[in-house]
Amino acid sequence: METKNQNQNKKPHQVNKETSRLSLLTKFHAGYFRISFALCGQALLWKTLRELSTNARVLRPFLLLLPSTAFILLWSLACISLLMLCLLYIARCLTRFESVRAEFRHHVGMNYLYAPWIAGLLLLQSAPFIGPHNVLYIFLWWVLTLPIIALDIKIYGQWFTRGKKFLSMVANPTSHLSVIANLVAARAAAEMGGKEAALCLFSVGMVHYIVLFVTLYQRFLGSDSLPFMLKPVFFLFFAAPSMASLAWRSIVSSFDTSCKMLFFLSLFLFASLVSRPTLFKKSMRRFSVAWWAYSFPLTALALAATEYAQEVTSEIPNLLMLILTVLSVTVTLILMLFTAIRMNDLLPHDDPFACCLILHRSRK
Amino acid sequence: MEKSDLPVEAPSVLKQSSYQNIKGFDCVDLENGNDHNRLGNATSDKESKGESVAISESTKLDGQDIAISIPPMMPLSSLSLSLPSSPSGLHIGQTKLVVYPEKCRNTNQNNPTNQNPQISRQKQFRSQPILVVEGTKRKLVRSETMRDSRFDPFKTWSGKLERQISNLRGMPTEEEALEAGETKRHETEEAPGVDRYFDALEGPELDTLRATEVSVLPEDEKWPFLLRFPVNAFGMCLGVSSQAILWKTLNTSPVMSFLHISPIPNLILWWASLVLMVFVSFLYLLKIVFYLEAVKREYHHPVRANFFFAPWIACLFLSLGVPPSIAANLQPIIWYILMAPLFIFELKIYGQWMSGGHRRLSKVANPSNHLSIIGNFIGALLGANMGLKEGPIFFFAVGLAHYMVLFVTLYQRLPTNATLPKELHPVFFLFVAPPSVACMAWAKIQGEFDHGAKILYFIALFLYMSLAVRVNFFRGFRFSLSWWAYTFPMTGASIATIKYTTAVTNIMTRSLSLCLSAISTFTVSTLLVYTIIHAFVLQDLFPNDISIAITKKKPKFSKMLAQFRSSSSDSKDFDYSISKGLEF
Repeated sequence: METKNQNQNKKPHQVNKETSRLSLLTKFHAGYFRISFALCGQALLWKTLRELSTNARVLRPFLLLLPSTAFILLWSLACISLLMLCLLYIARCLTRFESVRAEFRHHVGMNYLYAPWIAGLLLLQSAPFIGPHNVLYIFLWWVLTLPIIALDIKIYGQWFTRGKKFLSMVANPTSHLSVIANLVAARAAAEMGGKEAALCLFSVGMVHYIVLFVTLYQRFLGSDSLPFMLKPVFFLFFAAPSMASLAWRSIVSSFDTSCKMLFFLSLFLFASLVSRPTLFKKSMRRFSVAWWAYSFPLTALALAATEYAQEVTSEIPNLLMLILTVLSVTVTLILMLFTAIRMNDLLPHDDPFACCLILHRSRK
Repeated sequence: MEKSDLPVEAPSVLKQSSYQNIKGFDCVDLENGNDHNRLGNATSDKESKGESVAISESTKLDGQDIAISIPPMMPLSSLSLSLPSSPSGLHIGQTKLVVYPEKCRNTNQNNPTNQNPQISRQKQFRSQPILVVEGTKRKLVRSETMRDSRFDPFKTWSGKLERQISNLRGMPTEEEALEAGETKRHETEEAPGVDRYFDALEGPELDTLRATEVSVLPEDEKWPFLLRFPVNAFGMCLGVSSQAILWKTLNTSPVMSFLHISPIPNLILWWASLVLMVFVSFLYLLKIVFYLEAVKREYHHPVRANFFFAPWIACLFLSLGVPPSIAANLQPIIWYILMAPLFIFELKIYGQWMSGGHRRLSKVANPSNHLSIIGNFIGALLGANMGLKEGPIFFFAVGLAHYMVLFVTLYQRLPTNATLPKELHPVFFLFVAPPSVACMAWAKIQGEFDHGAKILYFIALFLYMSLAVRVNFFRGFRFSLSWWAYTFPMTGASIATIKYTTAVTNIMTRSLSLCLSAISTFTVSTLLVYTIIHAFVLQDLFPNDISIAITKKKPKFSKMLAQFRSSSSDSKDFDYSISKGLEF
């Protein structure tokens, strides 16, 4: 408590000086992995589009605009960004371990610890030079999935056992990330032939998704703890069923009725969110890294629409696929532009987990 | 507006309370002094200034009527609440809205005949006038349109209602000119927040006013018909049109051919439901045109909002129950036309659940929410009947996901959720509806009655049975129009049973379908008889729709009352202290 008071007493000009001295590593947090998330998702989308069957005549002129070099560039960009962010995060772990622990305790931050692994798996799936049956692929899959499983056991266990971290208290849209992690891993496993592992991860993900879906819809009082800057993460609502649809499609090798139902559910949630612009108004005033949260869900939806259009070959699915793909690419490009222009805004002015740190220190 | 009912003799300890004696009490703009009308004075006083002071009728201490004295001239109408001093639970009917019309040029001088003496059983004491409520009452009384509050458009529409009310109040009509200035002070044209509905209303359908609440409109006179016409009336269409589907299924289904049902009942019922639907829609359209404010309030009511799905569901039922002689196959365009408004409604309502705020599901969940889910499944069924593929799956998926959420929430009976009644009520039958319709939709989509459909059917059957064995607990409820909406789940279950019998044919399933169909037909006919009795004999099919007439803000006086109640336990002392207080 004393440190808190001291910090409060220091409010005026002293704080400004201190924040400028706050290094990059303090301001950095796992939420920045959204960027690599988005880029890896885009790479996967482009790879899928290139491999489309020629039934999608609508998309062919569009496809010609995507030369393979552009795809390689994108993939390399995604790879580099992921590696950089990973290095930064490792440095943060080594030097500011307390902050990392504080982050892990935070109900939003803890979900973003899944982010590097998801991004890695997406990158793996979209790699232009590694086929799914490659030994390297399998090895990397295990390397990336084991941390996901470990995090699952920790976080899902917390949901129903640990007092302060009951799901009804900590549930927020970023909790979808844990579900998405399982589903992405399931899809990657199914691609490489590991049906049992895929099914296992899929069932774990779906069961927790059902619980999370119901809980979030109920919106218990006291669970409205999402600051308005993080409103873009609401888009994760429809990212999860899209990924589930893709994962199930990989498992059963065809886009059957369940896949369709999941895809339609995510489409409905997407429509529901875009028809409520006031929900996002406040967060759109200033650019922040949270804006990157818009990209991946759109990409996932576009991917699911692509699979749907391949199954149901008629005009409306093709149109849907086209619209969603264009939307996803446009949004990502805009975000990249904004990031390049407003580098300063990307980093916050204070330590986002300071409050947790202070509490932690005061408890000692 | 005074009320004169309860011709009860007042107990002996009653004193006449004349608040004119109190400077500043109950008077907003007191120009003349309060030096008249000492307690117990019988006669009225006329002001030397020519303004008339309304009289307080004398009361003998021995239980005569107490009149409400009209305070001296005020340019504004003020509203005072009179509440009995006893706990509200005992005297639910005692809370009354008392409005004191005071005008400067009031012609109510010394005419006790104009005032309807307020008769009460107990001591009543009044609060400070609450102008705001008066203002909103005015707004409600006037039929609203989307235009803003300019006086003249109000007047053209308001003529009907205002004339009625001013006649009863005995007020000259010129007062309306004075009210013009107060329209500026009104609150904004928004319906009360959802919290207000939960605070002010109780009962499983949130249609009974709590004792501490007051209605903005007068309670014991008949409101205009359109104002009394609730959106629940569409429940009648639901009930009748689902019966049409049942008789069509009985006619066309091969397993029930042993009954030799002719197509006539289906034809008659279908035409009847069509006519009823047109009629009810027309009336409700009129209500929207003339009483938009009331419609808005209904829309914000947590239970009634779900009934806004009922017209579309009834249209879907009509399409499903079309007799084969009229149209063998319907055009798919009809499906798109019917599902579009349903889709938009759903985006709105489910989005409200998701984004939290005041209408979060954990707060507003109630069995009527099933109405918003059912539309999905019925749309899926109709689309599959027409041969569409993707659309039905879309709506089925959306309906299933949200049904799961609602089902879990209602089963949890969260403490934050106040609208589930502790005792049983016909509203519980709505639980049966979604699984039975979903099973039919899924069977049609898949082409056969497969495991998924069977699972859903058994869930529906289980819920039905668990309610049917408790049928004793359903007795003793006040009949209301919304009961019609609760009959269609029974009918739906019967139709699902017939479809199940088509897949699994044996003596048990046949007898079950026969039994359930008989029950549902019997229920609907009984309800029809009840409705006709209430409509034509008792003439109270459409009672005053209290649930939309709640105040926007909680009446402040109740807080005072609560404080008084908590501070003094003895009612005699209580009365005495109040009268003491009122004397000065």
